[in-house]
Amino acid sequence: MSRHALSARTARRARALAITTMVGASMFLAGCAKDAPQDVFQPKGENAAEINDLQYMVFGIAGVVGVIMTVLFVVTMTKFRDKGQPIPEQSHGKPALEITLTIIPALILSVVGVFTTRTIFNLAETKDTELVINVTGQQWWWEYDYPAQEDWGIDQPIITSGQLVMPADTKVLIRETSRDVIHSYWIPALNGKRDAVPGRIHTLRLQADNPGIYAGQCTEFCGLSHANMRMEAVALSKDDFATWVKNQQAAYKAPAENTLAKEGEAVFLNQCVRCHQVNGLKKADGTAAIAAPDENVYAGAAPNLSKLMSRNTFAGATWDLLKKECRGGVWDAKSEEFGAKYLEGVSADCLNEVDLRRWLRNAPAMKPMYADPTKLEPTDGKYRGMPYLALSEGDIDKLVAYLLTLK
Amino acid sequence: MITTGSKYFYGVTVLATIAMVLYMLFVNPNDIGAVALGSLASAAALLGGLTSFTRDSTAHSVKEASAAATQPAPAAVWPLIVAVGIVMLVFGLATNPIVFVLGIVALVAGAVEWLVQDYASRASADSEFNSQLRGRLLHPLEFPVGAAVVVGIIAISFSRIMLNISKSAGAVVFIVVSSLVLVLGFLVALKPSMRGRAIGTLCSVGFVALVGAGIVTGISGERAELVEAAEEDHYSHMECGAEADKYFDKHPNNAVSLKSATLATITVRDGKMIATLSGLDAPVEKVTIPASSPVQVLFHNLDSEEHRLVAELGEKKVADTGVKEKSEQCTQLTGEDQVNVLTLNIRKPSIAAGPYKLTVPGLEGQEIEVYVP
Repeated sequence: MSRHALSARTARRARALAITTMVGASMFLAGCAKDAPQDVFQPKGENAAEINDLQYMVFGIAGVVGVIMTVLFVVTMTKFRDKGQPIPEQSHGKPALEITLTIIPALILSVVGVFTTRTIFNLAETKDTELVINVTGQQWWWEYDYPAQEDWGIDQPIITSGQLVMPADTKVLIRETSRDVIHSYWIPALNGKRDAVPGRIHTLRLQADNPGIYAGQCTEFCGLSHANMRMEAVALSKDDFATWVKNQQAAYKAPAENTLAKEGEAVFLNQCVRCHQVNGLKKADGTAAIAAPDENVYAGAAPNLSKLMSRNTFAGATWDLLKKECRGGVWDAKSEEFGAKYLEGVSADCLNEVDLRRWLRNAPAMKPMYADPTKLEPTDGKYRGMPYLALSEGDIDKLVAYLLTLK
Repeated sequence: MITTGSKYFYGVTVLATIAMVLYMLFVNPNDIGAVALGSLASAAALLGGLTSFTRDSTAHSVKEASAAATQPAPAAVWPLIVAVGIVMLVFGLATNPIVFVLGIVALVAGAVEWLVQDYASRASADSEFNSQLRGRLLHPLEFPVGAAVVVGIIAISFSRIMLNISKSAGAVVFIVVSSLVLVLGFLVALKPSMRGRAIGTLCSVGFVALVGAGIVTGISGERAELVEAAEEDHYSHMECGAEADKYFDKHPNNAVSLKSATLATITVRDGKMIATLSGLDAPVEKVTIPASSPVQVLFHNLDSEEHRLVAELGEKKVADTGVKEKSEQCTQLTGEDQVNVLTLNIRKPSIAAGPYKLTVPGLEGQEIEVYVP
């Protein structure tokens, strides 16, 4: 072989080694990301910690097996590669070796199986539940309703969406179902995944050790905007949770007369109340304004917007109601300060008007609902998600002013 | 070898192709007529190929084919069956759809058998070969269909007998018949010499006896309690009060497997309604149900008296009249320590159409509020 050919081969090997090292290093360093709210290796509650313990053990065993097998593989490849030596004696059937190679994996799987089964049963435990929350999935947002529970001051059921608010250091049981297709509820820092299936109630225990916001994502492909179906669990101290409950049950405050917000209320009554309920809102004749999402939306429900500005997100927890600088103040707040920050809600100064206006202007442009644009029109009078409403800029101004009062 | 029949089809193929080309050139290349002529050419070519394949493979020469064509057609019952089928078809149009369907079946079966038999009888001058050819073509169809018909007749006859006699007599008949079948199977297995004519005779006698009994009991009709139960009209039964029907409310659905998917459980114990939510141990006074979402509510009766669970869901308009009536859903009557499931899908929130509540007729003054946020 010529010297030129040898150097070319060496250069190719060096290139391949450099690429492999770079890819490997990138993957390795990705594990050091700080802004990774859905990191499964950072449990923030006892259920997630139990899963974490199991996965460390499984990964540990798998790692040892992987290293042994890789070493054996490399040694075999290098030691026994074809160097022109004669073919060694061929033999078939080594019962002792075969039995050993069957028993060792079986033992490893048995050990893993015992711990996995124990973890599954522990995670399915629903005894000692302190708070129950109903969680209903639909394309592409989550609804949370809190049945009446006197221990928590919930004498009238509460309904909200986007953010699941719960007391910290409390055994919370969520009971999931779905109104349309199968979804899956997953907040990695608090527990594993659980499917939400139409017609069935599945339970999942959540528990957060400390106050804070924990991000999640629907993990069962559920249609075009599956990626835009997020969720956030907000854990508050028990006192702060009581304050939140009290605020959610507080009576509706109508905007003052002769204000932009009051005009926005009229626009809301004309346009939005067909699908969105605001508890306590009254029509001009003094009767209650009742939304009829069952007549206008395929899933039969649309987010209840009562106390909208007590939440930090909208449109399936995909967009922030808070500006970036204000959002950071809540997300990065210390545990003991978090509750107060969160309960401030969204002020006029902190409102992320840009995204909210974009949403009101043309919601389907932000959150795709149909692959076929011709289906943006209602079918049988019903929409898949928030439709394009052709609102004027003036109406959008009024609506933004009105929505800011829903706190 | 290309015989007379295939020549005819090949001729049609050529003519249809020429006609199609001319039509496309001088009339309209995209018209349905061109499609029709093309289809005719394809169909004729297919039939020509089939004719070549079948006739040419069985008739070794024109002379032999001609000799086969002069064979007299064997006697056949199929023209008669076709005629009966046509009569039944017409008669069925004026009387009963079942007669019409049976007429179609007879017509199609008779026509197929007649055509194939006629084809096979002229395939060659050798009648034994012709008979084998017929069997090769029709046995794969005749045997499964015949078996299905026999099994169907047995099932219908047996069901008529079981619906006519009492439940206890039915159990006895079932045990006796199945025992006889088992004994017969053992005998056949132990004494291979019994196979053949004796087994055939036994089966034929059994079959005739079964069909005879089925006809007699079918004419006699179903036993009295089944007739009464049918007259109760299960599917239009909408009453949710304290009434108890003789048959409708029996055998509530012990849907234990549904427990895992229930939202709430309503238990009646010592004359009291108790509501619990899945996951919470303590009883609740109010059950919250998401709107527009089907959920299961389990009803568990621990009292000796039979009860039913009723969901009072406000009012609904009677179609096109404007008249409003109570909207209710209920379980069947549920006996002691039995469970039943009520599936609710409430589309309007409580503030729109409520209040909704769960009650148990007979337990006055007790109710569980159903709240739909």
